[in-house]
Amino acid sequence: MASCTILEGSAHKMSADADTTIKMTLYRLIAETGRVPDAGEVAAASRFSEADVLSSFTRLHARRLLVPEPGDPRRIRMAPPFSGIPTAFPVDAMGKRYYANCVWDAYGIPAALHADAVIPASDAVTGELLTLEVRGGEPVPLPYLAHFAVPAARWWEDIVYT
Amino acid sequence: MLLFRSEETVDLWCESNGVPRRPLITLDQLWQLSVAWYANRLTVESRRPAPDEMVSVFASIGLTGPFWDPRSDSFGSTAPPGPT
Repeated sequence: MASCTILEGSAHKMSADADTTIKMTLYRLIAETGRVPDAGEVAAASRFSEADVLSSFTRLHARRLLVPEPGDPRRIRMAPPFSGIPTAFPVDAMGKRYYANCVWDAYGIPAALHADAVIPASDAVTGELLTLEVRGGEPVPLPYLAHFAVPAARWWEDIVYT
Repeated sequence: MLLFRSEETVDLWCESNGVPRRPLITLDQLWQLSVAWYANRLTVESRRPAPDEMVSVFASIGLTGPFWDPRSDSFGSTAPPGPT
């Protein structure tokens, strides 16, 4: 019994280590390219098989660290603050264009990259261009507002909408 | 989480989407949230804040009450308060 417990603990640590490595590979590729890679690309850039990467994506989703593309677990819709698809929140930083999931994540990208950024966002009603900027580690002061429609306790009930 | 030029356009959005107006966040507050959430996201130590840590982060920039508490059931949540 004790040996089983030891083996289970060892397997858990191995999967946790794999998840960390795979998550770091995923984020490194995003930072370097501006694009969210799929499971095959993460596998090719790491020592893991695509099946290992897919299993890891599932565990990382359960821990609310990634959101897979609905209907296609090989692709990632959200690796917060990055979006796997173009959105209304493009972020230009380090000579690349990234996409954020929402206005919070739009600031989250320069915060994560520790880089200056220009964010050509827009008013959610009028579509007016509202360009945000981060310069020298601080946001350029602007009078605009963010609105959170969903309370914190319900963010993950539909995280794509949130 | 959307961006607006003014309170007027927030009200228009809430009206057209049939949702109540919630707390408004300044861009300075939003930047502080972003740094708290994401500054270490590309590091091995990265993890989402636990629910009690989330409450502390929100409170540190003046966001308090059940709307900002992931453990709150004031809004009919059925979601478990998991790590972020």
